[in-house]
Amino acid sequence: MNLYRPLRKLMAILRRDWLITRSYRITFLVEMLEALMGVASFYYLSKFVQTEALARTLPQGHDYFSFAIVGFVFFDYLTVAVVAVELSLREARENGALEALLVTQTPVPLLLAGSSLYPFLSASLRTLVYLGWAVLVFDFPVTSANWPAAATVLLASVLAFAGLGILSASYILLFKRGNPARWAILGISALVGGVMYPVAVLPEPLQWLARLTPISYSLEAVRSALLASASFASVWPSVRALLLFAAVLLPLSLAVFAWSLRRTKMAGTLTHF
Amino acid sequence: MAPVLIVENLFKYFPPAQTGWRAMLQPLARATLRALAAVSFTQEPGTAMALVGPNGAGKSTLLRILATLLLPTRGTARVAGFDVVRHPAEVRRRIGVHSGTDGGFYARLTARENLRFFATLNNLRDAEARARIAELAEWLHLGPALDRQVRTLSTGTVHRLSLARALLHRPPVLLLDEPTRSLDPLAAASFRRLLREELMDREGITVLFSSHALEEVRALADRILLLDSGRLLACASPAELLRRTATDTLEAALARLLPSPEPAP
Repeated sequence: MNLYRPLRKLMAILRRDWLITRSYRITFLVEMLEALMGVASFYYLSKFVQTEALARTLPQGHDYFSFAIVGFVFFDYLTVAVVAVELSLREARENGALEALLVTQTPVPLLLAGSSLYPFLSASLRTLVYLGWAVLVFDFPVTSANWPAAATVLLASVLAFAGLGILSASYILLFKRGNPARWAILGISALVGGVMYPVAVLPEPLQWLARLTPISYSLEAVRSALLASASFASVWPSVRALLLFAAVLLPLSLAVFAWSLRRTKMAGTLTHF
Repeated sequence: MAPVLIVENLFKYFPPAQTGWRAMLQPLARATLRALAAVSFTQEPGTAMALVGPNGAGKSTLLRILATLLLPTRGTARVAGFDVVRHPAEVRRRIGVHSGTDGGFYARLTARENLRFFATLNNLRDAEARARIAELAEWLHLGPALDRQVRTLSTGTVHRLSLARALLHRPPVLLLDEPTRSLDPLAAASFRRLLREELMDREGITVLFSSHALEEVRALADRILLLDSGRLLACASPAELLRRTATDTLEAALARLLPSPEPAP
């Protein structure tokens, strides 16, 4: 299979998004400052709530600041995955580029994948800035982190989250607005995924629900890798669960998207918004 | 030579437009509103055919089905031998689409960046895209506009840019939906000259276009396809339409063929 052509197309979409972002020159600077403010807020919040008893309940045995900042950063990835395709779709529909894209010789799944690239890279850069600020200014412990294991968890998480994003975009394609899919994914993940507090503090039924959300596996594994120097073998069960989510969600979401696109082409509502 | 467009017994029904929360469910509603009914015609390569008819006649629907942006309810449509439903990718390789309603460009990118982007999505390699963009810029008088952001360009220039995008991959068939709709009379005349001299006469491209401007139809069309409420009323050359209706102007011929509007109650 010749991958050259699809890769060139992905790069073209990435370049498009980068050029558009670059044309708003102040955006990048503002995002970096926002990251600093975000980290600082978590730091002072964690100083306020930190007690020895609290530290003992944290699964990776670290302070609340480290626990919360990792949760926050990974939730950012999930948010990007869920909203990136939807936003790109909505923007293309509103500026009239959607039809121009759909009559090109590029398959829809490639257009979707390409539209997610820049938001994911941007989220990665934001993560680096968050962690960088945390390390430089607020003593975030990274000296013993297992970075390759953390990167593997991140990659598996992005694949698992992407399927959720395409499902959310399918809803917008079909029903235009008021996206309950996005609310359900982000709302439930924030509630039960272990973002700001350990899953163990939840009642039993919600803990059970947490096992059905990819972010709970991501957070468990990435906190172990970053904060407790967990080996690759010990994060593997979580990575395997994330890959299983991806294996189910990606084909399912692409099929749902294709069906939604077909329905809108039958109803003539492709460009409605 | 085999026809490049073959449309056979084409029907298209849409779900009726709804308001309020029901509008959300429109894609799932039953399609009962007729947009095209039993439309059949063929078009020879290198010719221009005008789709003419009142608003709501089905002109845009027909173009959008041929562009693979809409699915027909029944019937078949083939472009260069490929069915629009079964082989949409092959069809897209052979068509260029330009609409007179908007550009569909990324406003903050330059015209050149937009064209490069769409060239890559249409499988042109970098060197090929550069050469093709330069060639089209010269044809379509886009030179000075190429390195300006699209949001700063005039409507006429964006139209020419949109035509350049449609032609990037050298499609043998051009589908144009009211191509001069938002152009001033001079820009429209220049656009028509360009279509006739550069694309049809020089490149031999087949053009199917919708229009409300009979001046445009006279200037470009070898044949006219007259639609009304989704039904095909006539498909003939302008001369044939005049002869058939025993009239001496296109306006009079079309008026005779179209049913009289019902008197207001």
